[in-house]
Amino acid sequence: MPTLRSASNPSSSPSYPKQRGGVSTPNKKRSRSKSTESTPIDARSPAKWSSPRRSNGGVGEICNGIVYSNLSKSPRKRLYDDHVEKPKWNPRDPAQMLAVKEALHVATAPANVVCREEEQKRVLEFCKACIEQEKAGSLYVCGCPGTGKTLSIDKVKDSLVLWSGEEGLQSPDVLAINCTSLTNTSEIFSKIVAKFHSRKKINGRLSVLQHLQHLFSQRHSSSRRMILIIVDEIDYLVTKDRAVLHDLFMLTTFPFSRCILIGIANAIDLADRFLPKLESLNCKPIVVTFRAYSKDQILKIIQERLMVLGYNVFQPLALEFCARKVAAASGDMRRALGVCRSAIEVLEAELRNASQEQEVDIVTFDHMDIALSKAFKSAVVDIILALPQHQQIILCATVKLFRHCKRKATTIGELNRSYSEICKSTQIPAAGTLEFSSMCSVLSDQGLLKLGQSKEEKLRRVTLQIDTSDIIFAFKGNRFFQSCLEQ
Amino acid sequence: MAAEKSLALFRSRLCDTRFVHSAFKSSPESNYSKLKFLISSSISEGCNNSVLLLGPRGSGKAAVVELVLEDLKMEHPDAISVIRLNGLLHSDDNSALKEIARQLCLENQLLFSKMASSDDNSQFMIDMLRECGLAHKGVIFVLDEFDLFTQGKQRLLYSLLDALQTLTSQAVVIGVSCRLDADQLLEKRVRSRFSHRKILFIPPPADDIQRLIEHLLYLPRESSFSSKYVSEFNSRLSNIFSDKKFKEILNSLLDVDGTISNLLGFLFRAVSCIDMDSGFLSLENFKSAHLCTQRQPKIDALQGASILELYILVCMERLEFKEKNSYNFTSIMKEYKAIHDAYKTSDNYANMVCLQAFEHLLDRELISFADSKGWNQPIEFRPVKLLVSAHELYHGLKSNSACPAILQKLFDHESYK
Repeated sequence: MPTLRSASNPSSSPSYPKQRGGVSTPNKKRSRSKSTESTPIDARSPAKWSSPRRSNGGVGEICNGIVYSNLSKSPRKRLYDDHVEKPKWNPRDPAQMLAVKEALHVATAPANVVCREEEQKRVLEFCKACIEQEKAGSLYVCGCPGTGKTLSIDKVKDSLVLWSGEEGLQSPDVLAINCTSLTNTSEIFSKIVAKFHSRKKINGRLSVLQHLQHLFSQRHSSSRRMILIIVDEIDYLVTKDRAVLHDLFMLTTFPFSRCILIGIANAIDLADRFLPKLESLNCKPIVVTFRAYSKDQILKIIQERLMVLGYNVFQPLALEFCARKVAAASGDMRRALGVCRSAIEVLEAELRNASQEQEVDIVTFDHMDIALSKAFKSAVVDIILALPQHQQIILCATVKLFRHCKRKATTIGELNRSYSEICKSTQIPAAGTLEFSSMCSVLSDQGLLKLGQSKEEKLRRVTLQIDTSDIIFAFKGNRFFQSCLEQ
Repeated sequence: MAAEKSLALFRSRLCDTRFVHSAFKSSPESNYSKLKFLISSSISEGCNNSVLLLGPRGSGKAAVVELVLEDLKMEHPDAISVIRLNGLLHSDDNSALKEIARQLCLENQLLFSKMASSDDNSQFMIDMLRECGLAHKGVIFVLDEFDLFTQGKQRLLYSLLDALQTLTSQAVVIGVSCRLDADQLLEKRVRSRFSHRKILFIPPPADDIQRLIEHLLYLPRESSFSSKYVSEFNSRLSNIFSDKKFKEILNSLLDVDGTISNLLGFLFRAVSCIDMDSGFLSLENFKSAHLCTQRQPKIDALQGASILELYILVCMERLEFKEKNSYNFTSIMKEYKAIHDAYKTSDNYANMVCLQAFEHLLDRELISFADSKGWNQPIEFRPVKLLVSAHELYHGLKSNSACPAILQKLFDHESYK
């Protein structure tokens, strides 16, 4: 990774560890994040670390000079603090390892949700406005998986309840539904009625939806509380006639409706595609898009999670590599956390195999490299190389056939002929037709070929499910298969 | 006496997958150790995890899972409960949820109601996961034929993996599949929640195979056999293993199918041919087992065919070679007469006799009717087709001792020797 190393200052990095005993790296990590973002973490950290500087100003000056000249904002106090306050991480201690893994686990909800303040503010403002004006409204939250939608909306819910308590307004009733748990799409209306209007009798003649519509179109004497309905994975409600989704959003358009509807899904254009009628009624839902995380955001979130620990677990270079790769691939936070955890497991495996004297106390770039290649590299080439020889010859025969005839499909009979030709030319005894058919079905079970159906075994259609370039790459160093492919 | 006892011992060993796969228990790089480390660390740390086991059929995935679960149950007796689902049986989400609820009830001695709706079942599952998490009891879900669960809307996978995202539950999801791209079949929401851990079951390398065979076939010293017999048996066996021919047989077997179950089938056949008088295995046992695996049933059928039947088959082959799309018994007879006229063979038989041979071939399914509807027509006029390939016919003629040379000569103009 030459680019990363050249970005860091050559004068500070090599000399630094010798002076400070290997604690330079966390300092660099913070400085980089500080210079790239201008968000709350910036405001917090100087205040937090200010005191030790004043008390120990003398010792810090000498070494600080090097760093100070190279970076725009020097965290000189932090530098000193790292040396004094942060103990080294001992990976052999099970309690510490457990704490680290827990901090990085997807299920651990962080105390502050960073990098989503903009979006949370928008949703919160919308809900506040609805509650203050006692008007109904709908909102649609969209974004790729792993971008923090459900997490943020949960935080908004909590802060809304808090805010309404402070303002003296009635806090809204909250209903959170995940649409994957509904067996029938119209069950959602029964759930709404069950939660909010359980006291009222359901009129046997009307359906549940009509009952709700009836409720919302009548004025009630007592002012009731607002209802906040959070519908997760709302695209499961999309049926062929789109009636359920439409009716759900239309509930907010009734004159006396008191519900605030927040729908969460992945598709950006769900509102446009499936709710055209709402636009004509001028009550299209507001769309809040949660964009995929960028590299800096991923880095910040992971660092935020690691701040609860008192020690440094990752080399900053490793973290940045991970953030870069994940942001380029999908921007999915779950992936990033999973890769970090698997890097820790690589470290653990190394510890178990290594002898007692070796000091491995930080997750390095190499560990992260191994973890990333496990997560992102497809195993196709390894699998092809691990196949038994005759099955590899069958794959070669397929590639040859497709290359010669410029087609994408062939039959088992033709493939058998090509296979026997290769076997004859390389003087390997070919397998019989029965074994050949069973080898083809084994390959199709594994997802490498695809076999069609036919009355006769010979006429079954064969197509390749993987790229021919993968096969050619797998056999690159192998002289035997090179000669097969070239004929 | 010793032979029978050792035969019984070998058969029981080869049929017991636990014994077979315990050969790889000790090595730290084996799939057994990786899986065990993963599950035991999830249980002891109380965090959730998901893993996918991928490999061709017969490579021992389910066996390794069973081995790991058995060992873990012995180490932590009350800390684990196992739920097993199969994609072939429970592909429908509702039946899968019902099965999960039923197994959870069974494990925890609760009463299961068949009348519970799918909503109740999924709520029950979430509550149970929470309770087990609070009680520090891990729930392990084993999903066999994982790729079949990815059909449809993948609701079950979504709800299972979503339950893993909360802190209160403590569960491990193990997916077992033979499709190597099973994780590409997942929907993007489900894939995001799935931790991308994969354990690949590739065919073991040569020295691992050697170790496995020694583990299976060496007699144990402290058994009830006489020590003289044991040492004689083992030394003969090691001689066989170092023989070059044995290595060739093993390589040709594994070149076609490298999975462990294939190897076990081969060893079972070899062991069953043990010489009952002396009680020792020899190289001939392995050779005959190898021949068994290389059977070509159609060529065997041709070996026993009569000469007239061979004539009929060769005539049909010639007609097909001349690219006649459909032909029937009458055209075959014309060809037969033509051959007879050209070469003046002595095998000239009447039509009735040929028809009998023809019907015999139909019964043995070496030929069959090309259409499926002509039940009313007499046999002579229905179109027929060959069910043996030209290649097989060529080899069948060669292996048939009674085959006249003229037939082989008639075949010579085909270019596939």
